[in-house]
Amino acid sequence: MNKKLAIAVILYFTVVGLYYLGDGSVFVDHTTFKFGVVALVSFTLYYYIDRARSGEEIYLRPIAGLKAIEEAVGRATEMGKSVLFVPGISDMDQVETVSGLILLGHVAETTAKYEAGLNVPVSKSIVMEAGRETCRESYLRAGRPDLYYDDMVHYLTDDQFAYAAGVNGIMVREKPAACFYLGKFYAESLILAETGNSIGAIQIAGTGSPSQIPFFVTACDYTLIGEEFFTASAYLSKKPELLGSIKGQDIVKGLVMAAMVITFIFHGLFQFGWVDFDIVTLFGN
Amino acid sequence: METLKNIFIKLGSMDRRIIFLLVGLSVLFPLLKPDWFTLPIRPKQHSQIVFDEINKLEAGSKVLLSFEYGPSTKPEIHPMTIALLRHMFVKDIKVYATALWADGNFMSTDAFDEVAAEYNKKIGIDYVNLGFKPGGEAVIKGIASDIRTLYPADLNGTSLDEIPMMQNVNNVEDFDFVFSLSSGTPGSKEWVQYATDPKGIPMSTGCTSIQVTDIVPYVENGQIRGILAGMPGAAEYEELVKMELKSMGLVIKPGEATSMMSAQSMAHVVIVILIIFGNITYYLTRNNKRKGSK
Amino acid sequence: MFLKRHMPLFIVISIGLLTLFGHFINNTTIQNFVDNDATQWFDIIASFAIFLGALNMLKLQMLKIIRKQNNWQYSTLAVLGFVVAIFAGFFYRGANYIVVSNVNEINLLPISELLTDELHLENQNTVMSNISDAEDGYEIPKIFMTQSGAEAFMEKLDKFDVNMEIKSKKWGVHLQAKGSLFSWIFFNIFTPLSSTMFALLAFFVASASYRAFRIRNFEATLLLVSGIILMLGRVPIGELIPWWVVAILIVFGVGAISAPWIKDKKIFFGLVVGGIVLFLGVGFAMGWNQSPPQILLIPVIQDWIFDYPTTAGSRALMIGIALGIVATSFRIIVGIERSFLGE
Repeated sequence: MNKKLAIAVILYFTVVGLYYLGDGSVFVDHTTFKFGVVALVSFTLYYYIDRARSGEEIYLRPIAGLKAIEEAVGRATEMGKSVLFVPGISDMDQVETVSGLILLGHVAETTAKYEAGLNVPVSKSIVMEAGRETCRESYLRAGRPDLYYDDMVHYLTDDQFAYAAGVNGIMVREKPAACFYLGKFYAESLILAETGNSIGAIQIAGTGSPSQIPFFVTACDYTLIGEEFFTASAYLSKKPELLGSIKGQDIVKGLVMAAMVITFIFHGLFQFGWVDFDIVTLFGN
Repeated sequence: METLKNIFIKLGSMDRRIIFLLVGLSVLFPLLKPDWFTLPIRPKQHSQIVFDEINKLEAGSKVLLSFEYGPSTKPEIHPMTIALLRHMFVKDIKVYATALWADGNFMSTDAFDEVAAEYNKKIGIDYVNLGFKPGGEAVIKGIASDIRTLYPADLNGTSLDEIPMMQNVNNVEDFDFVFSLSSGTPGSKEWVQYATDPKGIPMSTGCTSIQVTDIVPYVENGQIRGILAGMPGAAEYEELVKMELKSMGLVIKPGEATSMMSAQSMAHVVIVILIIFGNITYYLTRNNKRKGSK
Repeated sequence: MFLKRHMPLFIVISIGLLTLFGHFINNTTIQNFVDNDATQWFDIIASFAIFLGALNMLKLQMLKIIRKQNNWQYSTLAVLGFVVAIFAGFFYRGANYIVVSNVNEINLLPISELLTDELHLENQNTVMSNISDAEDGYEIPKIFMTQSGAEAFMEKLDKFDVNMEIKSKKWGVHLQAKGSLFSWIFFNIFTPLSSTMFALLAFFVASASYRAFRIRNFEATLLLVSGIILMLGRVPIGELIPWWVVAILIVFGVGAISAPWIKDKKIFFGLVVGGIVLFLGVGFAMGWNQSPPQILLIPVIQDWIFDYPTTAGSRALMIGIALGIVATSFRIIVGIERSFLGE
C-alpha cells in the first residue's frame, strides 16, 4: 500500500469517525452510513485524480462516437453545409446539459478549425448564455474569433414539442450535414433523430436518459451510452485530472458491484437464519 | 418464383411515406368503425395492483394526486386520471390535487370539471386543487415537510385555512396514499426519492409507455405499488373500474383508452408485419448479393 | 478575469459544497437553504432569464421578416403567436363571470331551468340547490371571454327580478379558468399542436423499426424478437394469438439458431417440419387448446421480459448513469471541470 493511499485511508476513517461522534448533534441523525458512502466516493475520485496529476498513465477505451465528431464536422465542411448541435431540452441544473455544453465547446472548436457553420438552437435561456460563452471561447482558442457570432446559439422555446417542431423545421429547411444530440432528452428524441435520418445527416447522440438511449441507438450513426457521455470531456481534453476522475468513477463502480454481491450473500444468510444481522438495514433512512 | 421474390423485395423497401400512410390508416379505421374491431381487455398484474391499492382505501381516506403531464401526453394519461377520479369519488375518497408542471393545472381542472359533477362532488369538501408551484423537487420536499408554507391558498385563491378538508393536513405524512400521473421530470421518481420512500407513504403511478422502463425498478422494489403503463394500463384500469362499479350497480361512461386500444393494437400489428417484410427483403437481397459475388 | 473566471468558480464551488454537505448538517437554516431556497433561487434566475431568450427569439424572427429572408412567413406566425400569448396572459383577462343574487322562491325553478338548458348542465336539481344555498350570490358556471358576451347572457335573465353583477377572475386564476381567452388558446390551439407532435412518434417508431430491426447478428435478432413480443403483448391483440402460433415460432427460432450446424438443407427442413408437427401433436393431445402453458402465451412472455431482463438492464443503466453524474458533479464542485465556463 503506497503512502498516499495510506494517508487517504486514515483521513477517511478520521472524517467518518468525527461524523459518527457528531451524529445526532452537529450532524443529522442516523446519516453516518450515507455520509460514509459520500466520503468514500469523494476520496476515491480525488485519490485517482491526484495519481493522474502525478503522472500515472490512464487508459480509456476508444469511444467511437467521440472519435467520429471530427469526421462528422469534416463531412459537413466538404458538403458545404452546416452542423446542427442540440444540447437537450433541460436547464443548467441537469448535469447532462453541462456535459452537453462541454461537448459543444469541442464541436465548436472543430467547426472553427474547419470553417463550417454551426447552429445551436436551445430550449432554455440560461443554456443559451452558457452556450454562447462556450462557443466564443472555443472560436477564440481555435484562432477564428471572426467566425463567431452570438446568434449561432439561439433560443427557440421552452416547450418540449414546440422545440422539437422548431428543430425539425431547421433540419428540413437548412439540411445540416451533421447533427449532434448531446444532452438530456425526453420523448422528442426519436422525432429529432428520425428527421435527421430523413435528410441524410450523420448523427451522433449522447444522453443520460435511459429510456431515450434505444431510440438514439436505432436512428443515429453513433450513440454515447450512459457514462460514455459523461466521460466525453475527459476523453477529448486528455487532461490528467479529468482522466483520473474517470478511473476513480470506474473504481467506485467496482466497489458498488462488490457491495451488491456482499449484500446479496449476507442478506441470503440472514434469510436462512445463519446470521442475526440484516445488512439491508444499513441502507435504511 | 422470381416475381414473388421481387414483390417481397419491393414490400421490404417501401418509401417511408407509404409506411406512414399504412400506420395512419391502421389507426384511423378502428376509430371510425369501432364495432369491427372489438378486443377484450384483460387487466395485467401491475394494473390490478394499482386498482387493489386504491380499492383498499376506506371512505374519507386522503389521496394526494399529482399532475405531471401536459397536452402532448394527455391522450395517454388523461384517461387514467378520469378512471382514477371516478374510482376515488365513488369510494368517497378525499382527493388533494397538486401539479409539478405548469400544464398540469389545466389537466387537473379539466379532469375535475369532467368528473366531479358526475358524482356530485364539491370543491373544498370532496376535493381540493392546490395548483402548480414552480421548483420541481423543491415542491416535493416542501410538501413532504410543510404544505402550508408552500401553498398559502388553492388554485382559486381560497386560503387553505378556509378549506374544510385541509384541516389537519400539514405534510405528506397526513396523506394515506400518493398517486403520481407522470410523463417526465419531475415525476414519479422524484416523489419516491424525496417524499414517499423516506416518509413511508404508499404510492402508485400512471405514466407514459416510454417512461415505464425507468420506473419499473422502483415497482419491482415495492417502492411504487403497481404501475399503469401508458394507454394499455389506462384501458386495463378503466376495465377494472367498470367491473367494480357494475358490481355496485352503477353505470359508467365508456373510457377513452378502451376505445383507443383497438387502434393501438392494429398499429402494432401493422408495424410487426412491416418489420417481417423488411427482414424478408434483407434476407433475399443478402442472398442475391452473395450469389452475385460468387 | 476575476469576474469571468474566479468569481463564477467561487460561486460554483461554495454553493456546490454547501448544498452537498448541508444535507448532513443539523442546522435548520442550512437545511432550509438546501431543501428550498437553493432550488427557488435557481427558478427565480431561470424565470428572469426567460426575457433573454424571448427577446433573442423575437429579434431573430423580426429580422427575418424585415429582411424577407427565406421562409419569412413562418416567422410571422411565430411573432403573432408570441404577441397573442402575452396579450392573453398579461393584458387581457378574458375571464368574466356573472353572480346572481336575490333569487326568490318563485324565480328559482325557471332560472335553474334556463341555466340548465343554456349551459347544458347535467342536473337541474343540483343547480336549484346551489342557487338556494349560495349565501353571497350564485356564480353562474360559465366564463365569458368578453364583457359584451356576459351582458348578452344577462339579458336572458333580465325578465326575472334578480340582482346580477359581472365580475372578473383574479389575475393568475384567469389563466386556467375554463372559458377564458388563455384557457381557450391552451385547449384549442396549444393542446392539438402538442398532441400532434407527440403523435408523430407513432409514425417515426414505425419507420425506425422497419429500418433498424434486422436479423444481422445474435444481438439484433434478440432485439427484434423481444421488440415484436413486447409490441404484441402490450396490446389486447396479444391475448388473441393462440399458443400454437408461439409454438411454431419457437421451433423456427430453434431452427434458426441451429441452422449453421446443419449443412444438409433437406435434413434441416425435415427437422423443422417434424419439430412443428411433434410440438403441435403433443399440445393438442395434452389439451393445451383449453389451458395452454403460460410460457406459450405472448402476454405472459411479455410480462416476464418486462419484469426481469428490462428491469435488470434499466437498473444497470441507472446505476451507471448515476455514477457518471456523481463523478461529473464532483469535478464541477471541486472546480476541476471548468469547460462550462468556457475554459
